[in-house]
Amino acid sequence: MSTPVAATGGSRRRFGAIRDVGSGMAAVGVKELRGRMRGKRAFVILTLYLLLVAGFAWMIESLAERSYSGGFSSAFSASSEIGRQMFMAIVFLLTLVTLILAPASTAGAISMEREKQTMDLLAVTPISSLAIVLGKLLSALSWILLLLLASIPVVALVFTFGGVSPDDVVRAYVVLLATAFAFGAIGVFVSALVRRTQAATVINLVVVIFLTAGTAFIFIFWTAMAGNSGFLPDQQVRLGENPVQALTRRPPEALMWFDPFVAQLDVMCGTETGFGGTCQVIAGVTNQNAAFQGDVQGEFGVKRDSYWPRSVAAMVIGALILIVLSVQLVSPTRRWRIRVPRPRRRPAGGEG
Amino acid sequence: MTGIVRATGLMKRYDKTIAVAGLDLDVAQGEIFGLVGPNGAGKTTTLRILATLLVPDRGDAEIAGASVRRNPNDVRRVLGYMPDSFGVYDDMKVWEYLDFFARCYGIPADRRRRMIGDLLELVDLGSKRDVYVQGLSRGMQQRLCLAHTLVHDPLVLLLDEPASGLDPRARVELRELLRELRNLGKTIIVSSHILPELEELCTSVAIIDRGQVLAHGRVAEIERRLRVGAVLRVRVLGDGGEHDDARAWFSAQPDVVTADLLDDGTIEIGFHGDDEGSARLLAHAIGADLRVASYARAASDLEELFLQVTAPDPVPAEASA
Repeated sequence: MSTPVAATGGSRRRFGAIRDVGSGMAAVGVKELRGRMRGKRAFVILTLYLLLVAGFAWMIESLAERSYSGGFSSAFSASSEIGRQMFMAIVFLLTLVTLILAPASTAGAISMEREKQTMDLLAVTPISSLAIVLGKLLSALSWILLLLLASIPVVALVFTFGGVSPDDVVRAYVVLLATAFAFGAIGVFVSALVRRTQAATVINLVVVIFLTAGTAFIFIFWTAMAGNSGFLPDQQVRLGENPVQALTRRPPEALMWFDPFVAQLDVMCGTETGFGGTCQVIAGVTNQNAAFQGDVQGEFGVKRDSYWPRSVAAMVIGALILIVLSVQLVSPTRRWRIRVPRPRRRPAGGEG
Repeated sequence: MTGIVRATGLMKRYDKTIAVAGLDLDVAQGEIFGLVGPNGAGKTTTLRILATLLVPDRGDAEIAGASVRRNPNDVRRVLGYMPDSFGVYDDMKVWEYLDFFARCYGIPADRRRRMIGDLLELVDLGSKRDVYVQGLSRGMQQRLCLAHTLVHDPLVLLLDEPASGLDPRARVELRELLRELRNLGKTIIVSSHILPELEELCTSVAIIDRGQVLAHGRVAEIERRLRVGAVLRVRVLGDGGEHDDARAWFSAQPDVVTADLLDDGTIEIGFHGDDEGSARLLAHAIGADLRVASYARAASDLEELFLQVTAPDPVPAEASA
């Protein structure tokens, strides 16, 4: 009878709920970042990471320079070739770092709260499960974002060689951010699913390996078994084929969507005007008739941005789905339960 | 007048085990209410339902008028909960710990700063403000955890076995703290199996076993209602023979249910009378030339109550569900 809750309008309530989620995320985020950035550790890691990226870029540059110094190509094209190679190498390194760090920094997000028995303390506050999950994920991502942003000056070195334009760099960073988001969300989901942080870390690693090397292996194996020539796209148009046959004749492109290396290859392909080595892989994955074997029918070369936007969209959608599932796993009372009705010995009793 | 915490017909089942079987509670504002029961009685499940961490299979509970089923968020705003086995974020400083929970309740920055200082003074951790939580003793961590339940100035505190794992000194401090909180107008529900402590502290108790409330009310009231006797401990001077004689004498007296001779020569008497009767018994004993060196009621009435109430006839498995 004495319910103190005043009736409020629907929209006010909605805005209130959004504000509550925002303040809850801020609370969790501040706590996480305080722990993460405390002391010298974060800055030592940042310094070592930048040394690694810069040293790696230097190594690639000297290797590339050596291989082009005796060649026939003009100094101009050699320079842009060195720029492209450096860009590819650095972006691949950043992708690898993101693939390792994103799930690793979220692996303990929920399981650690359970291990430390602090989950109940958090669950009895008005903070929502969504705020907990998003606060944890975004604080982990902001750390990775800091690493990625810090690497921009090193990546910008490639502009001094040419061959790569600023919008290629933007594309690469969009893919990197989507990668961090998706693999961070995978980390949070596994952490919410598994009780122990150690187990969550191992599972995350296995998932990363599966989604990169595993899917690539399946793709190549599938292609080989289906009688196609590896990553090379089909040479013949097969008429009279139904959609199922068409699908099983070659592996679906979606298999590789969660492999950010392939998405980055498409970004690299953009620097190669549709014909380089990376474009061949993209042509194979997307089944485009790239016509690099002298077959000049139809489309010529691999279309720019023909693959990575789909991969990024898939990663973002996948991440959103995992966030929703994680929220359900975190919530102490609002969890969706799949209830399997148990067969009763007696037909429908009076119990409600 | 209905209480600030009310539960009606709460039921919770884990697979085939019924943890709480149709439990009713009514706790008035400003009480320190003890939830007493053996392990597995359903104390923790009851508190977790009240704390909105579990949804009851049946029944409902209201805290300050808000239903734990329908308005869990409203309940959370008026409630502080300290679980049985709780953890602390040990990589945080003491003030950061309280600051984090205050943020969770959306308390603005200027109020947070003042409130953290006040709370740390209240739980006597004012000097530990900038210490890492992992550097605190267990008792201090317990007090810090209690402080965190107070950041939003709740009306009701639910404390699940707050004294477990504490040394005697820390227990005394905790008891003092709870009294102070009661003076601040908080309603406190505390579960424990350390009965003497609850007896001293609580204004009312509910004795629960197998998920049901067996007795509910003020300690003296329950005692009267159940007409439960006391345990008297009598030490009589003399050798073994005299002790045996004294035991035989006591067991022959009216209102004495049992009389046992303990190893240390103390005679423990199950007595079924009131204080008058116990005074008469002492007078008779002295009149009968027993050399009584000490004569006292056993420490915990609640303990006796508890044993009497929870012992014999089994509760039907799905009663009142």
